[in-house]
Amino acid sequence: MVAYQNLYLALAVVLFIIGAIGAITRRNAIVVFMCIEIMLGAVNLVFITFGRANQSVDGIFMVMFVMAVAAAEAAVGLAIFILMYRKRGTINVESFNLMKW
Amino acid sequence: MELIILLICGGLTIITSLLVIFARNTVHSALWMVASFFFMAVLYLLLQAEFIAILQIIVYAGAIMMFIIYAIMMLNLRQEEQAPVRKTKVVGVVALLVLFLELLVVGVGRGLLAVKGPVTDQLMAKFGHVAVLSNFLFSDYVLPFELASILLTAGVVGAVILAKQKSE
Repeated sequence: MVAYQNLYLALAVVLFIIGAIGAITRRNAIVVFMCIEIMLGAVNLVFITFGRANQSVDGIFMVMFVMAVAAAEAAVGLAIFILMYRKRGTINVESFNLMKW
Repeated sequence: MELIILLICGGLTIITSLLVIFARNTVHSALWMVASFFFMAVLYLLLQAEFIAILQIIVYAGAIMMFIIYAIMMLNLRQEEQAPVRKTKVVGVVALLVLFLELLVVGVGRGLLAVKGPVTDQLMAKFGHVAVLSNFLFSDYVLPFELASILLTAGVVGAVILAKQKSE
């Protein structure tokens, strides 16, 4: 057991809820993107807490690969936002309905 | 001592994350996000994951947030227009809260029943954090490591192709 393990886990759940509420309620696509980053951070905290509790490095490596995926996702996501801004003049997520029928 | 730092930095992480959501100005959101990542790095230090704490500051607070702030500046966003709150969104948020309160009740307070691994604090103290990590990274995790480099290359090429102006 890590000291104060429950506090870390409760903190991660609270952060995840904050990120999810922001991703649902905000309309600006970049803020939604940052809320997803908050949720990823909360998951990273859980990985490190349990990795340390089990005396393993697997949690740390999972976090490293999450960071690599987040960097690639940021590059592609922001390119998509720039493309949408050029086409629509806004990045309000409610105007992103190209694939809706 | 650890408890005091944990409570202060945990509280600041929650407050700065809430400010990310509630700030009207997108640039302010991004700057609060940098603060949030910084306090989260302190939590990683408390969990004795020094290397991840450094990566958190360099990769997240440095590279990714700089990228987002550049995108905000390039897009020249107006203030987000106020629209009436939709009923479906309220229902969605309430359902989410109920779901995660359940998770909080069920999940927190139980440890995972797993076999303890070989990486004890003594081992980390003897060889150093980064030395132990690199031994694992270039033996057990070498395939995911190479795949991550391919993923990053593909991401950069995809971003350039997407954002490129079409030349007539």
